[in-house]
Amino acid sequence: MRARESSLLPVEDAREAALFFVVGALCFLAALAALTAKSTYGAARAWTAEVEGELTVTLPGLDPAGAARAMILIRDTDGVAEARLFTREEIDALLEPSFGTRDLPESLPVPQLVGVTAAQGAAGLAGRLSETLAEAGYDNAVDAHSEWAGDVRRMLGTARMAALSIVILLAATAVAVIAFATHAALLARRDIVDVLHIAGARDRFIAGLFERRFWLLGLRAGLSGSLVALAATGLVIAAARAGGGRSGLLPQLSLDLPDFVILIVTPVIAGLAARAAAHITVIRALRAMM
Amino acid sequence: MTQLRPDAFEEPAVRLEAVALSYGASEDILSGIDLVLKPGSFSFLTGASGAGKTSLLRLLYLAQPPSRGEVSLFGRPTSRLKRDELSALRRRVGVVFQEFRLLGHLTAYENVALPLRVMGKRDSQYRADVEELLAWVGLGERMHARPATLSGGEQQRVAIARAVVTQPDLLIADEPTGNIDPEMGARLMRLFLELNKRLRTTVIIATHDLALVRQIEAPVYRLANGLLVREAGRAGETARRRTDSVRAE
Repeated sequence: MRARESSLLPVEDAREAALFFVVGALCFLAALAALTAKSTYGAARAWTAEVEGELTVTLPGLDPAGAARAMILIRDTDGVAEARLFTREEIDALLEPSFGTRDLPESLPVPQLVGVTAAQGAAGLAGRLSETLAEAGYDNAVDAHSEWAGDVRRMLGTARMAALSIVILLAATAVAVIAFATHAALLARRDIVDVLHIAGARDRFIAGLFERRFWLLGLRAGLSGSLVALAATGLVIAAARAGGGRSGLLPQLSLDLPDFVILIVTPVIAGLAARAAAHITVIRALRAMM
Repeated sequence: MTQLRPDAFEEPAVRLEAVALSYGASEDILSGIDLVLKPGSFSFLTGASGAGKTSLLRLLYLAQPPSRGEVSLFGRPTSRLKRDELSALRRRVGVVFQEFRLLGHLTAYENVALPLRVMGKRDSQYRADVEELLAWVGLGERMHARPATLSGGEQQRVAIARAVVTQPDLLIADEPTGNIDPEMGARLMRLFLELNKRLRTTVIIATHDLALVRQIEAPVYRLANGLLVREAGRAGETARRRTDSVRAE
């Protein structure tokens, strides 16, 4: 059996191993940033949607029996999907940051709290609830979360933009590094390019050699970066779950289909960027020759 | 009435018209070079070291354009050609470099086959020819060796085999026998003569080996002070070995 034809470019050398590491690391960071951006986006959407439909009704000076009567009024108000009276334990937990963990005296005037979930598309519910309760003689304060959710939404939007900017910056850095390395590789192999050129190789034939080499390098480095990003994300999720699940303010920690799409697309983008950089660099260098 | 030779209307294989070459703002290395090599001619190019032989050959194998003047190959002015057309012309030219320029990661066989791969041929199409050529230059047993393990003479023979494997229309050789023993030198010169006679390959050999020049009756062009002077022989004639030379056949 005859040996397969050797590549016209030598097998990768130490420079390419270093480039592989750099591109792999950049792809790892880019994949991680993309996953974070996507996760932040999803969490922000879910969280703001959840928050915007929530209201808290505070009823001061009522005992539990009075609160139960007020609950009937609240449930019957147009636009209320669900209403739930907070238990004493839940109220104590809310007061804990201010009054400590010791049991509060029964004489302390603690208001009754009702959590209300608005029906889809219910507008002006806070005002209606306040009015209904006041007409029935209940002192009340209705806190519509949507009033301050806008600030949170803007904050999450900023975080999302920051993550996307990091993705773009890392991708641009990877492309610049690859272009620089391709140029260095071309200079190091100028003898090969010269011989092929003089032997009558067309520009696209010579460029094709470098394109294939750097496409595969980008793809393999990107794949390595993606796999490490997958492992890192898996570890974070496992650690978060072991630590008691998600906190309400943290992004949803999970890996779903879009996350896997990001992990698959990252090496392809790295490969394509490497290929494009190699093409441009080699063609430009060849154009400088006769 | 004047009798016209059959090749009278043939375009020259090489035509240099008022060619000059300089690097940057430096003085001309070559100036006012006019040269016509007819198809099937055999010529020598001589001159002292640094006279510009290699620079002149670089113009001929289209490694660089002249600073002034025109280089035409096979009747085509190269300054007016597109890049792909220049590549096509280069495929008709075989070059033996003084420093061999073998690719170190390829075997002798792969180095020789390189121009054929560039032409898009498959291994099965050229294997027999390449093996035969390597055997002919005495490297049949070493075809799978890499250049680093070959002697200078062996590397030179690989370089020569690579230059002739495509049976080029123009063969340009820069000191092709500089590193090999006289017997192998004579054998390789015979290869060049065979190509010249049988395939009408135009051959130009740059050398400062006067013994080699004396072996073959052919025009000799000498470069001195950037100028080209024809010294001996009839321009454009096919070469003949002198009867008292090269007895190594």
